[in-house]
Amino acid sequence: MVQKKPKDYWKSLQQRDDGTIALPVAGDEFVEVPQDERRGVSRRDFLAAAGFTFGSMALTGCTRAPVEKAIPYLVQPEAIIPGRATYYASTCGACSAGCGILAKNRDGRTIKLEGNPDHPISRGGLCAIGQASVLGLYDSNRLRNSLHKNAPSTWAESDSQIAARLDVIRSNKGAVRVLTGPITSPTARRAVDSFVKTFPDAQHITYDVLSSAAIVQAHERTHERRVLPRYRFDKAEVIVSFDADFLGTWISPVAFAMDWSAGRRADAAPDQFSYHAQFEGRVSVTGAKADRRVRVAPGEAGVVMSHLASRLAQRAGEALDTTGLAPCPIDSHVLDDVANRLWHARGKSLVVCGSQSADEQVLCNFLNHLLGNYGQSLDLEDSADRICHDDEAVQSLIQELASGSVAALFVHGVNPVYDLPNGAAVENAISKAHMFVSLADRVDETSKLATFVCPDHHFLEAWGDHDVGDGSISFFQPTMRPLHDTRSMLESLSIWSGKLRLAQDLVRETTQGRVLWDEAIHNGFAKATSVAVATASFRSGSVKAVLGIEQVPADKLTLVLYPKVSMLDGRGASNPWLQEMPDPISKVVWDNYASLSEATAARLNVGAGDVVRIGLSEADGAANALELPVLIQPGQHDQVVAIALGYGKEESARFAKLGPQWIERKELLGENGLVGTSAAGLLSYRDGTLRLSGASVTVSATRRKHQLACTQDYHNIEVPESLTVLGMDRRRPMVQETTLAGYKRDGKLPQHGHGTHHPDLGELWADDHKYEGHHWGMAVDLTACTGCSACVVACQIENNVPVVGRDEVQRKRIMHWLRIDRYYCDNDGDVDVLHQPMMCQHCDHAPCETVCPVLATVHGEEGLNQQAYNRCVGTRYCANNCPYKVRRFNWFEYARDDTLANQALNPDVTVRSRGVMEKCSFCVQRIEAARLESKQQGRSIADGDIQPACQQSCPARAIVFGDMNDPESAVSKLMARGRHYRLLEETNVRPSVGYLGLVRNRDENKDQSHHG
Amino acid sequence: MLTGKKGLRNLTAVLLIGAAFNAALLATRLGAFHLPGNHQGYAPKQPIAYSHRLHAGELLIDCQYCHYSASTSRHAGIPAASVCMNCHKFVTDTLGSVRAEDEKAEEEGRKPRRMVSPELQKLYDAFALDEEMKPKPGEQQSPIEWIKVHNLPDYVYFNHSTHVTAGVACQKCHGAVETMERVSQVEDLSMGWCVNCHRDVNRVGLGGKSVDASLDCAACHY
Repeated sequence: MVQKKPKDYWKSLQQRDDGTIALPVAGDEFVEVPQDERRGVSRRDFLAAAGFTFGSMALTGCTRAPVEKAIPYLVQPEAIIPGRATYYASTCGACSAGCGILAKNRDGRTIKLEGNPDHPISRGGLCAIGQASVLGLYDSNRLRNSLHKNAPSTWAESDSQIAARLDVIRSNKGAVRVLTGPITSPTARRAVDSFVKTFPDAQHITYDVLSSAAIVQAHERTHERRVLPRYRFDKAEVIVSFDADFLGTWISPVAFAMDWSAGRRADAAPDQFSYHAQFEGRVSVTGAKADRRVRVAPGEAGVVMSHLASRLAQRAGEALDTTGLAPCPIDSHVLDDVANRLWHARGKSLVVCGSQSADEQVLCNFLNHLLGNYGQSLDLEDSADRICHDDEAVQSLIQELASGSVAALFVHGVNPVYDLPNGAAVENAISKAHMFVSLADRVDETSKLATFVCPDHHFLEAWGDHDVGDGSISFFQPTMRPLHDTRSMLESLSIWSGKLRLAQDLVRETTQGRVLWDEAIHNGFAKATSVAVATASFRSGSVKAVLGIEQVPADKLTLVLYPKVSMLDGRGASNPWLQEMPDPISKVVWDNYASLSEATAARLNVGAGDVVRIGLSEADGAANALELPVLIQPGQHDQVVAIALGYGKEESARFAKLGPQWIERKELLGENGLVGTSAAGLLSYRDGTLRLSGASVTVSATRRKHQLACTQDYHNIEVPESLTVLGMDRRRPMVQETTLAGYKRDGKLPQHGHGTHHPDLGELWADDHKYEGHHWGMAVDLTACTGCSACVVACQIENNVPVVGRDEVQRKRIMHWLRIDRYYCDNDGDVDVLHQPMMCQHCDHAPCETVCPVLATVHGEEGLNQQAYNRCVGTRYCANNCPYKVRRFNWFEYARDDTLANQALNPDVTVRSRGVMEKCSFCVQRIEAARLESKQQGRSIADGDIQPACQQSCPARAIVFGDMNDPESAVSKLMARGRHYRLLEETNVRPSVGYLGLVRNRDENKDQSHHG
Repeated sequence: MLTGKKGLRNLTAVLLIGAAFNAALLATRLGAFHLPGNHQGYAPKQPIAYSHRLHAGELLIDCQYCHYSASTSRHAGIPAASVCMNCHKFVTDTLGSVRAEDEKAEEEGRKPRRMVSPELQKLYDAFALDEEMKPKPGEQQSPIEWIKVHNLPDYVYFNHSTHVTAGVACQKCHGAVETMERVSQVEDLSMGWCVNCHRDVNRVGLGGKSVDASLDCAACHY
């Protein structure tokens, strides 16, 4: 029998090649700053001498209590109880997906967003951007009043001037243009329409850089309906995605992740586990989860789809003219296999495509049509005419503006000078508008040109609605009183249309008679209309194969611009939580970069951190070229250079002063004085649409370096060199995976028990910790976890985790209590990507507890590993002794001088000060709240009463918390499953967190032959 | 720049002189000395000389009439001024001084004047009310800034509602407030004092019922 070699998991290329991560980056957990010998009195001597003085000063100060005031309301508002939170159901306005939220309002301030479990779209999940949007409320860059020519103005003044000018425009028949982002609100659409109708010559134009317009155009061609289908990933047994990052950023990722994970249940019958193939050029979050990931450059995708379509059309007996079709750029056996699987899952499969080319989208529709998926796994029952972006209209608007013939321009929700290619020309064109009114909530690249800035509310302060598409309307309600003198866009437009209408009335009017208002506002959504099932039939004549591969010259690469999970098109750029969220794949923070494959980087003779110059082939002008540091991305297509959008925004200059201000501090921003570099200049118009990918670019080295802050090598779990025996693998089996077939047969993980061949490891504290009541534990399902990092941001908000800035991250001082480790694994010449959320494991035999000299970290009666901040003296012994590297030390009093942003702090969690250790507490404040609640109601805590912030937010439902002493609890049931394992079991620390091994729907034999 | 041992000696000398100075300062206040964080006996002067003895002791108003959220929230709640106005819209002075004015007015054969105690006047000023209890036009209302007496450090999460619903009497922690003219802190509110009580009730129960008072650090510190 062939000895099976365990799979090789690695975090970085260095670890793969050398077997370890070299010093000093990973070896020393804390990188110390060497003391400067030249200074006269050393720090230690000074402290020794100063101790007496400051000690006695402290004692003299102890004789008087500081005076604290308690200032109650003058008149007590009804329903506000100090210290108790109120939750308002509303809708997330951070992107156009429209997930349901429950906004937690504590003493008049909105401090946390939770997913609304009843909401038809999100069903309880909320992504990282949605979670972080609450900080946008307290963003000190928000305008506090309206502006006239960049000087503060009053609403009355601005309104009267705007109204006067509009009256002149109306009588002169001047051109009025309204430019907005995608409008998903029926009320906003009505408001814009009626505003536009008050002018003889007015037009409403929308655009979205992350546009789904091609899908809508394709359905117009194939079904004669301008709709965006509703995708049902839970109903698909075979999912094939062509570059659609549906678990990360595509259309409605929270809803899709929820559906996708519902369709992948390894512990149910085998037919409840879908097969997912991803064809993509870069490495996306979705590709990381796929059962088969195929590298396809953007220019090749159309041909691959045509080949797939011709195979399926043959079987379905439909015609597809493939004369002149280029040979298949990928292994045709792979395509045969995918075609076979799709054909056998007719009506239960789903093909999605993220391309912005309508031709490719038509092919995608054709594939779904051949497979009979319409009406099954995707349907056209979309009641909302949501997507009406027209990139051609934007181009002609800019020409019109440049000619100076636009009398008034209104802009809401977009930042064209930043978003669109050739920003300088857009800026020049916009400045020629006779009057430019911006409704932006801040001064940005575009609104700084405005004659008037009339700031809109933050979505958490405003009334509004969102068309879900299935006939439901999701409502926005104010979750707190507006902080500043801002005004709802609905009200602004109504005033300029002639008469003020209150936003609440306008929203209510839209669904008047169709929903019960009070109930709808209470729930956050309501069914407004029933949608008739679409009877649109497929027009086969509309289908044309994409025949040719776009040839890229040998010295050039294909560009892939992509929205990043934390940043999208740049809407997260002013949010420090999102800037410091490590990218799910690259683990880089505070920067964007040019991703290259290993082979391509070697060919170009550049290494990680080398700055390269990227220019569009056609223009090649200096204006469009940009310089970015290289990141070597395993698993990426050799022909592709991938760059994230959303960086290099002017407002990111504000982060220059972020983090601790100390003597060894380094510059936080790039050479351009901003966070990252804007890639908008590389966007291109083709066939009238704005394309993110496909352009040919030149990439050349500049011989400069820019060190990226990347957390992938931090908190590394390896056997120290001094303890290794010759030939021993220094890595530990942290992530474990199996194939669906193997799991069905064995009922356990192949490596189960790996490293546990040892005599019985005894109980350490049998008499001390009996766990007679509850014993809290957590199970994390690696099959479901997509690495999207919603939990990381949710944890940060809930637990007042500070942001430290790029420089401190490079010193390994990132403070996140919950990190997501990302591992790579070689697979047949390709790499697999695995994610593993890692938080305090609350060990029953916790090594941190036994080394604390002051008993600041001790074991609780219910298994919690508790950290008493006020007792901690900062020896850091505990962090040193933690095998999972989950403890975080406060090296500084992290900047809390932004008093506005401080309003987002959770009053139920201590704000830690300098010199103390902190770590995941299992959201003990939520445990305590549930305990007190149940005690007062005279019952015991029910399973599901306690949801830590990470579990609450998870769109894939990968995290489950509960009582391990209760055999009926969800967590106990998960822990009883065959693929459950705990980390580093051989050390006998007995963690309370368990993991459910990753299951991929793969052919077991192939896997064995490869690793045998 | 200071260099080497000489520099350190100079610096130490300066600091030790400072230490001696501080010790001299400390000596004058030894009587008031207590450990950091312990404010036992603290009885600050309040903006309005509100008497708990009168209201809770003599008039027998329930504690939770004013501290209304003690049974529902972490905070017992300092009553809003509107709660005072429930009675003091009508009661503007002590019974004694109103009666005295009444008698005096009868003697002098005139209508009795409206009597307003100087302390209650501060309440009316907070609402910017005139003699007839109507809001004074153009005057700003301002909430009353009470001085907190029982003040726990920020890293302690004490929850009133659990203790109140478990049946712990208010006086157990706050002392006999109903006898106090000006409220003072009776107990030292130290962690040892909390934990002792938790241990005691776990042993003997509370009000005849057995209770489960946690001794975990994280019951209060998180």
